[in-house]
Amino acid sequence: MATLLEEIRRELNELRWQFDLLNWAQLTSVLAVFTFFLIIPVLTIVQASFIYEGRLSLYWFQLILRDPLYLPWKGVGGRLFDVIEYSTETGRQVLIYIEGLDFGVILNSIYVASLTTLFSTTIGFILAFIFAKYKFFGDEVLRILLLAPLLSTPFVGAIGIKKMITSEGVINTLLVDMLGIMPFRLEFTGISAVILVQTLLFYPIAFLNIYTSIINIDPTLEEQAENMGASGFYLFRTVTLPLSMPGVEAGALLVFILSIEDLGTPIVFRGSNADKLMPVFIFRNMFTPTGTIKGDATALSLILLVISATIFIVLRKYISLRRYAMLTKGGVWRPRRRKLGIITTILIYILCISILAVALLPHIGVVLLAFAGEWPSGSLLPTYFTLRNFVKLFTEPGVLRAILNSVVYSSVATILIVLLGVSAAYLVSRVKVKGMEALDTLVTLPIAIPGIIVATGYFLVYIDTPLSPLIWGAPLLIMSYTVRKFPFTVRAVFAGLEQVDKALEESAVNIGASRTKVFFTITLPLIFINILAGGMLSFIYSMSEVSTGIVIGDANHNDAPMTWKMYDMLFKGFGGTFVAAAMGVMLMALQFIMIVASNLLLRKRAVALIGI
Amino acid sequence: MVNIRTHNVVKRFGAVVALDKVSLDIKHGEFFTLLGPSGCGKTTFLRSIAGFELIDEGKIFFDDEDVTYVPPHKRNTGMVFQNYALWPHMTVYDNIAYGLRVRKLPKDEIDRRVKWALKLVHLEGFEKRTPHQLSGGQQQRVALARVLVIQPKVLLLDEPLSNLDAKLRIEMRAEIRRLQRELGITTIYVTHDQEEAMSISDKIAVMDHGKVMQVGDPVDIYFHPRNPFVADFIGQGTFIEGSVVDKDEYLLVELEEGLGRVRAVPSRRDVEIDVGDKVLVAIRPESFSISSNKASNRFRVKIYHISFLGNIKRVQAISNGKKFLIDVEPSASFNLDDEIDVYVPYDLTLAIKV
Repeated sequence: MATLLEEIRRELNELRWQFDLLNWAQLTSVLAVFTFFLIIPVLTIVQASFIYEGRLSLYWFQLILRDPLYLPWKGVGGRLFDVIEYSTETGRQVLIYIEGLDFGVILNSIYVASLTTLFSTTIGFILAFIFAKYKFFGDEVLRILLLAPLLSTPFVGAIGIKKMITSEGVINTLLVDMLGIMPFRLEFTGISAVILVQTLLFYPIAFLNIYTSIINIDPTLEEQAENMGASGFYLFRTVTLPLSMPGVEAGALLVFILSIEDLGTPIVFRGSNADKLMPVFIFRNMFTPTGTIKGDATALSLILLVISATIFIVLRKYISLRRYAMLTKGGVWRPRRRKLGIITTILIYILCISILAVALLPHIGVVLLAFAGEWPSGSLLPTYFTLRNFVKLFTEPGVLRAILNSVVYSSVATILIVLLGVSAAYLVSRVKVKGMEALDTLVTLPIAIPGIIVATGYFLVYIDTPLSPLIWGAPLLIMSYTVRKFPFTVRAVFAGLEQVDKALEESAVNIGASRTKVFFTITLPLIFINILAGGMLSFIYSMSEVSTGIVIGDANHNDAPMTWKMYDMLFKGFGGTFVAAAMGVMLMALQFIMIVASNLLLRKRAVALIGI
Repeated sequence: MVNIRTHNVVKRFGAVVALDKVSLDIKHGEFFTLLGPSGCGKTTFLRSIAGFELIDEGKIFFDDEDVTYVPPHKRNTGMVFQNYALWPHMTVYDNIAYGLRVRKLPKDEIDRRVKWALKLVHLEGFEKRTPHQLSGGQQQRVALARVLVIQPKVLLLDEPLSNLDAKLRIEMRAEIRRLQRELGITTIYVTHDQEEAMSISDKIAVMDHGKVMQVGDPVDIYFHPRNPFVADFIGQGTFIEGSVVDKDEYLLVELEEGLGRVRAVPSRRDVEIDVGDKVLVAIRPESFSISSNKASNRFRVKIYHISFLGNIKRVQAISNGKKFLIDVEPSASFNLDDEIDVYVPYDLTLAIKV
């Protein structure tokens, strides 16, 4: 007992010693924001899921778990593919129509995320290994091109590829009608299209993570193994692969989380079995006719949350984002890269260009759409090109307003993120008090919480308050951007802080500067670049936020951000898709500028950011 | 310039006791060295004096002022870090002026004192340089100037020479000592290099596992180790366990490994050794001679390695499985596997109480 009191006394002493006024202010503001705009909304969902007619009950879960809509109690629905034969003026056509099996909403989400993860990680690993281990003509350019899908904005991939892969789409027109090299038509839709699009969107994340971990393997470790007689696949299996596993696992788990919470992709394939994926399903069925949130929607949200949070915990526990950040700390050594001969180079080019050709389909598609005047199905290219769609950004009712809304919300959110993110990163990195680990987990947590859940939670908590999204969309949208994009900046700043030797700060304290003074005169100037880069990333990610944007935007069209407007235009009939594509292209250009700028600023450190 | 006194200082990191009741008294103007292997707690002690670690128990006094709970930026100590910790975003001038600007001194006063500090470390004309344009030795000087300019109560040096090459290290060692004498500033110096500690210090505290093993001047520590750890850590030697079987003018020690009996003196006059006590017999390499002397112990050893060190030859030899380190004249002509007789005066055969 005495020792416990002693322990407590010591902890309190330490606390008083470690914290100054600035730290308290930092801690309180970060905690306040996270409490009100993440913890409480999420807990409210948990609470609402267990309440039926005012009483504690498992009713909603029973409802969900018994319903064949959610789980395949009545057998697996849909078909993996269908072969449809039909005749047209040009003769008999064979269409292979791939939609994918339907296991019910819950299992669908899990298997889509699993397959996306499998495919993305496989592609990512092969590419990472090639680029980390071999040197060949044009490798730098090719590597950057293969990362291009990172520049994808919400819906873009899906809008673009939808135009490409339908039965009368560009691919079939080109390969079947024009070149005649494919004997049948191929159409992807529904779940299979979602897997395809997500794989193309997310493989660069796996690629980056794995690439970073391979180039950070101390080359002497491999040389030692070779020295002892290992070579070829044996060397790879016993040394290279195990040492790159943290990157592989981190990449895979991140892809899984991004895939399972993705709302922007499946929402584009409306009317197919892609509607039976958790985020879309919640989005479409969350409101009762009276505008309140349905109990089964909250219960389903909770199930989604449990899945992604579990993956997140695994991610933190076994791969520790922090260790990963340390891994990318600096290129002290030159990675071992073998020069390749002409034949292998050509083979690698064939592989990379085929991946690239598929990976860039959505981007090509969306750019063409943005400049298209008219693009009837069955036609390879738009019938004519025009800038009309971009003019419409200013003339089409509501579009400009939505864009401006997005810019304003994202700017305010970025300011908040930078202020709070720097605070949080500083506390975690510098204040050695028990519990700072927990703060670290808390501020990284938004990665694990699907946007649709944050949005649902906001409605539950704030609907009857002055912050109601029905009255005024801005505050909750800003806070949702702030919380959801927070981890990106925190990680960037944290990586910067870890590179700043603590002795640089201590030596200033030692000669008389208070911690606050040191923070402003030494710490901030030294990590300024990281803050800037992290802030830019947060800004573009905020601009592209889909889930909370369309949920809140759907409830309050005036205050809706541009992502909602894109969604709205997409299903608005004639010309809407073109304008949505123009907005997508605009966002892509913005992303491109910011990523290039932050890459220039951070140079080598950039990898750590996007890889998060 | 102050007298620094610590009383039973305890610092724990989780289950590890980094400082275990450390009580030291560092006199005004003294050059005091903390010496010990890595992880012995010497840096933690230094950081506790600077205020970077809050100690769990005990007190720290600067003169009569209890500074245990004074935050680091109010302690007015001057700490030089191992890697110098110069701010890369500031010039040499701004680095040195930082502490003065924090104190809001008038501009001309700052200028005058920065010039003074630069002169002190012989770096006049380097004001506009940035740290990465300086050599290791110059960075070291800037780091010194940066803390000396605020006229700290105590100068704290954390292995300041470990990043320099061997030659520069000797040069900076003399330089630091010169500055310290010139300013008469109380200095605490941390190192794991016993030779460095011996050559620079007024007083040395040898530490191990968070405990102070012995405090004394270099001669005292070298010739009169209080315990086996100090004897082993400071300098080299031959160490043989044994027990005291008789006591007259000298101690008669029965050595282990069947090495016979030797006469020895207690390593310290203030440590009482009685018949029956276990002791460690320690002999410095230079205490051996190859000629017989009346009051000497004799060992017959077989040579297995000879290294030429310039001024001496150091012979490694073995007797009954015990290793001996013996310094001989460089002209001595021995061969490997020779069996020779070596002698140690009784007075240089130290018995350390175990």
